[in-house]
Amino acid sequence: MNPLDILYGAAGAWLAAAVAGLLAGSWRPGLRACCGLSALAGAAAAAAGGWSLVYGNTPVVAPGPATIAGGPLQLQMTSLAGVFVALLGIVAVALALYVPRYHEPSRGTGVYLAACNLALLACLAVLAAGGMVTFLVAWETMSLACYLIILRHPRSGETARGAFWFLALSEIGFLLIVAAFVILSAKTHATELDMMAARGHLVPGGWRAAAYLLALAGFGFKAGLVPLHVWLPEAHPVAPADGSAFLSGVVVKLGAYGIVLFAFRLVPVAGPWPGLVTMGAGAASAAIGILYALAERDIKRFLAYSTIENTGIIVTAFGAAMVFRAYHQLALSAFLLIAGLYHVANHGCYKTLLFLEAGVVEHATGTRDMDRLGGLVHRLPRSAVIAFVGTLGIAALPPLNGFVSEWLIFQGLFQGFRTGSHLTAILIVLAAATLGLTGGLAIYAFVRGFGIPFLGMPRTRQAAAARETGQPVAGPALLAVACVALAVGAPVMLAALSRTARTVTGTSLGPLLLPGKLTVIPAHADFSAFSPTYLTIFLVAACAVPVLVYLAGRPRAGSVSVPVWDGGMVSFRPRMQYSAMTFSAPTRVTFDALYRPSVSVRRASDDDPAGRSGPVHYEAQVTPVFERYLYRPVVRAVEWLADVIRPLQSGDVNLYLLYVFLVILLAYLLGAV
Amino acid sequence: MNPGRDEAEAARRLRDTISTQFGRSLHIRTLDTGSCAVCEQEIRLLTAPHYDLHRLGFFFTPAPRHADLLLVTGPMIRAFDVAARKTYEAMPGPKVVVATGACALGGVYPKDPFVHGNAGEVLPVDVWIPGCPPSPLALLHGLGVAVGRLAEMTPGLTFIADSAAGGGEA
Amino acid sequence: MPLWFARGLRRGVVTTRYPARPDESAAWLPTPPAFRSRQLTRDVADRMVAVCPATALRRRDDTLIFDVGACTACGRCAETAPDAVAPSGEFELAATARSALIKEIPIRGGGR
Repeated sequence: MNPLDILYGAAGAWLAAAVAGLLAGSWRPGLRACCGLSALAGAAAAAAGGWSLVYGNTPVVAPGPATIAGGPLQLQMTSLAGVFVALLGIVAVALALYVPRYHEPSRGTGVYLAACNLALLACLAVLAAGGMVTFLVAWETMSLACYLIILRHPRSGETARGAFWFLALSEIGFLLIVAAFVILSAKTHATELDMMAARGHLVPGGWRAAAYLLALAGFGFKAGLVPLHVWLPEAHPVAPADGSAFLSGVVVKLGAYGIVLFAFRLVPVAGPWPGLVTMGAGAASAAIGILYALAERDIKRFLAYSTIENTGIIVTAFGAAMVFRAYHQLALSAFLLIAGLYHVANHGCYKTLLFLEAGVVEHATGTRDMDRLGGLVHRLPRSAVIAFVGTLGIAALPPLNGFVSEWLIFQGLFQGFRTGSHLTAILIVLAAATLGLTGGLAIYAFVRGFGIPFLGMPRTRQAAAARETGQPVAGPALLAVACVALAVGAPVMLAALSRTARTVTGTSLGPLLLPGKLTVIPAHADFSAFSPTYLTIFLVAACAVPVLVYLAGRPRAGSVSVPVWDGGMVSFRPRMQYSAMTFSAPTRVTFDALYRPSVSVRRASDDDPAGRSGPVHYEAQVTPVFERYLYRPVVRAVEWLADVIRPLQSGDVNLYLLYVFLVILLAYLLGAV
Repeated sequence: MNPGRDEAEAARRLRDTISTQFGRSLHIRTLDTGSCAVCEQEIRLLTAPHYDLHRLGFFFTPAPRHADLLLVTGPMIRAFDVAARKTYEAMPGPKVVVATGACALGGVYPKDPFVHGNAGEVLPVDVWIPGCPPSPLALLHGLGVAVGRLAEMTPGLTFIADSAAGGGEA
Repeated sequence: MPLWFARGLRRGVVTTRYPARPDESAAWLPTPPAFRSRQLTRDVADRMVAVCPATALRRRDDTLIFDVGACTACGRCAETAPDAVAPSGEFELAATARSALIKEIPIRGGGR
């Protein structure tokens, strides 16, 4: 009995859920049945994932006569994939609790539910793939299923655009991944991932580098590394909330999984430079992601850019782990791998939570625009508390889980001096500094992201009319509990992850990570130490003291409630509060070289010959740098090439017959030679 | 039950509270209800080195939420009514209102469609400080009276100079 | 900077000790008037009432009603009737009741 056996059950349940959804999803009982099956599958997957962390790698299994795309179906549950499978399971359970209350059963619901469950199944297959063909087929199935998920409401033109960006970049990435796998497979003459890893020494150095770079770029498209990220802010706002949550929570992590797979298992390159390139790409993504997040008013676009930022952090950790391994600092390498995997789990939990809450807000108020919201903490109290837990996590504030994993990453990066090479140490410090900037901007961004919609006064009537009845609470609440559990149970989680790191890298950290007494040390006993448990207890106690002082000493007389102090202005309107864009204006001014804003101001008095005052029209646009300067030239080049080639397809039958003749002649000549 | 005595008792307790809480630490919020700004100049002089308000533990604050005492100048133009009431209501209790300057005391401007003429028409004034403008010394005395640190002299003054030399009377 | 500091030290403390000790500059302040009731006649009183720009003075029968709160210490009443008016020298004029600032001055001078 090994984790893979449980996963068969989960896969079967998801398949059944897909069928049930397709057949009966348009009626409420069918919807519930489908979600129930999905939740069961998710729970099984979570259990299997958690178990495989400590179990180690299962052997490769080719179940029965099943073939897939002409090759054998090969499955293997590795310890490395265990984290991702556990995350997939938890997210699936949360989504299954969320979907019945969020979606109204209608005509398109059946196909949507089938696509969701198919995507979950495909993700599981990617993670449990033991062979190249299985991996690639599952990957492409996942992409197509996600495309269907994004297209839930296809009537709006924006949806089509967002889904198209997703699909196009997905396919380009897939092409690069196929190329990477083909190089490896051709050089090692194997299709099983284990065999490819074992025969890795057969691949010459140049090909190894090429394969790794192709994999980094290919998986980077899915993970959202800058400049390959442009599909994220386009696809997330138009997908339904649970679809966006799934995309950000799980699918983007599969890109990170691919990078780790290639970097640590399949094609570990000897020199430090692949690690430095990865680390640099990660650090740049983190900084650019959060900077663009601060320029967004749409909650989901904002969260999408935050996903790019966190992917950057994860990939930085993995890149630094590669660099340390190249310099034979194996303990630090394993430590950073653990830190990166921990951040994967954390981000999966709180980002999914935040997207689900964004869906609740959109459902309750009808808008995703932060500048139209406000005061939701009184109208959606439970959702506000849950969103607050998620915000604390993603802003990496103690004592929650984001703080633990970012602390680990920073402690690993700060030990860059142990590599012995000055240049590398400086580059690692630069990456740490970039992550520090990112951390600060992330706190700023999420104060804005939570404060503007939830706190203050409602800026519009829709925000004031929001009600909590009928909104999904159980799904996000489960994820909030998971966030707290990941924080408080950090020693347990780290113990399991260090077993995983031993399986992947061969280095056993043991007392170098957890020397006992609930403390965590960063792979070296003389550097620093930190106890998540004691920190949590201390912070809770420290926050309790002012509360107790207040309760003991508050005045007996009743308090008077007076309106908000508005400077004495006679006609105060809630629109006069801080808006999302003014809150982030200092950042936009400081970093205007990146944003290149174009501002247009039109005053009614400009046109009036008498100079009478009137409405002022102010418009500020952030230049889409990547679309304009990277993608548009590439698209134009492809279109030009297509124009050049078009004469080949003239439609003239005689020309086609000439082609046939030429090809036969060529084949004959080649055969003769 | 003697309502007069209970009222006097409550008033005494309030004065004691104000004296204890504000006697050595007071936050003042100025409110200009349409003055010519000369009273504001004198008020501003209070923080200058010669008079140094801070040595007495008194400070200025712009936020009524943090203020204990509201210092009103100006003849209370009617357009300012809402803002004046909002400022007063935004201050948490206990609070003291001091009107200063001949305008706020009802001397200079008569009541007309634009002006109340007297700060007491809109706000419950506790201490009145005359002067045009009141010198910083008069303001210091008035603030001291407001927090119970100094005694008021005016009830004892008659402004009758019948003794041989000039000068005031007491 | 050190020169300025040294100059300041030489000059000494300029802060007033008021209210613990009286302030010398108080003698220079313009203050509301005090009235010599024996020099006041109804005629003088009416002239002062007419000339006061702040409506601080009113006459009711044989009483001159002086609103200290309204007085701006402009000195026109002193200019009109120098015998009847002298500067009071009082600047500590804060009151908790508005009525405490309204003083009644008997008109005891002879004549009309």
